[in-house]
Amino acid sequence: MDHSGAPSDGSVVRAVLSGDVDQFSVLVRRYRDRYARYAAHMLGSIDAAEDAVQDAMVRAYTHLAQCREPDNFAGWFFLILRNRCFAERRRTRWESDLENIGEVAAPEQTESALERSEAVEGLQRALLRLTAEQREVFVLKHVEGLSYDEIAGRLSTSVAALKMRMHRAYDRLRELLEAP
Amino acid sequence: MKNREWNDQIKQVLDGERELESLPPDLRRDAEAARRLLLDAIDRQPVTLSPALDARIMSRVRSRAAGRWPRTWRWLSAPTIPRWAMLVPVAAAALLVVLTRPGQQADRPTQAQAVYVRFELYAPRASRVSLAGTFNRWDPAATPLVRIGKDGMWTVTVALPSGQHQYGFIVDGRNWVPDPAAPTVDDGFGRRNSVVSVNTNNGRIL
Repeated sequence: MDHSGAPSDGSVVRAVLSGDVDQFSVLVRRYRDRYARYAAHMLGSIDAAEDAVQDAMVRAYTHLAQCREPDNFAGWFFLILRNRCFAERRRTRWESDLENIGEVAAPEQTESALERSEAVEGLQRALLRLTAEQREVFVLKHVEGLSYDEIAGRLSTSVAALKMRMHRAYDRLRELLEAP
Repeated sequence: MKNREWNDQIKQVLDGERELESLPPDLRRDAEAARRLLLDAIDRQPVTLSPALDARIMSRVRSRAAGRWPRTWRWLSAPTIPRWAMLVPVAAAALLVVLTRPGQQADRPTQAQAVYVRFELYAPRASRVSLAGTFNRWDPAATPLVRIGKDGMWTVTVALPSGQHQYGFIVDGRNWVPDPAAPTVDDGFGRRNSVVSVNTNNGRIL
């Protein structure tokens, strides 16, 4: 257990693997929303993100015995969800996402908030025109606030490769957002 | 055709690896425009999925489990974690100052039941500090701290509803700093968020 008294991920994983299936709900509660924002930005809608999280959770349960570091269930689950998001992006065309953009942006009320909402929507629309790899590095760095080193560790790639991907994303976003 | 590629120095500013002030004036203007175009339009609002999601996932999990372990095996391999452990609430240690008389706070309470919590950070070399957390949609511009005196202490007071809140300080617009006086939790991306739990019934911070 950690300092809060809650069981660690490792102990929950071991309990599930010992046959107490209901304990898996602890991990569901703990991580259902943690990567929802990432999935929503990757897929362009909250509905799609919810489907992805559901599939990834069931897949995590099915393959739980392959989780080599039970105390790092979060990192392992993220990679499963990431694969699910990339597979979904390959399967669908970006045009289908554009109808759902408003789902990710928050409903706003005031005039200045409306302007921001439009800017947010415009950026989200442009993000969906990037490659999945470009969009992912932008989301992880600028939405989730990770450093290049942290992203590189999580995705098992180099910082140089990530920077190249990001800088191409900047230029592409500019092209899309400043287009007449 | 207009060149749509930004100068590498501007990209370094966007990356948070170069100060805006270090650029020559013409590049600085472009860098400010780039930040407005991209970084200021980012939606960092947390996404919360449907409450029914847990039940849907567990339904599928249980149906898969039914074919996996014989009932006797499940009985023999009883849970290794006592069920009462799941009920223990997450509690954070007290670290902040509770103001019992609302009136001069930076943020107005959004709920009838709220506790005013003062956040403080010692950052003598910072030029600006802000507070981002679950209570302001992680918006780094929503809750700036004010520098008090000349000894480097920054502070802001925020009305928080009952419950557990995660947060952190953003120093100079780019450095994420957990509260050194508060407990932290893993944010799932390898970093630590600070935690404060507020009980509005008796104005306590747990």
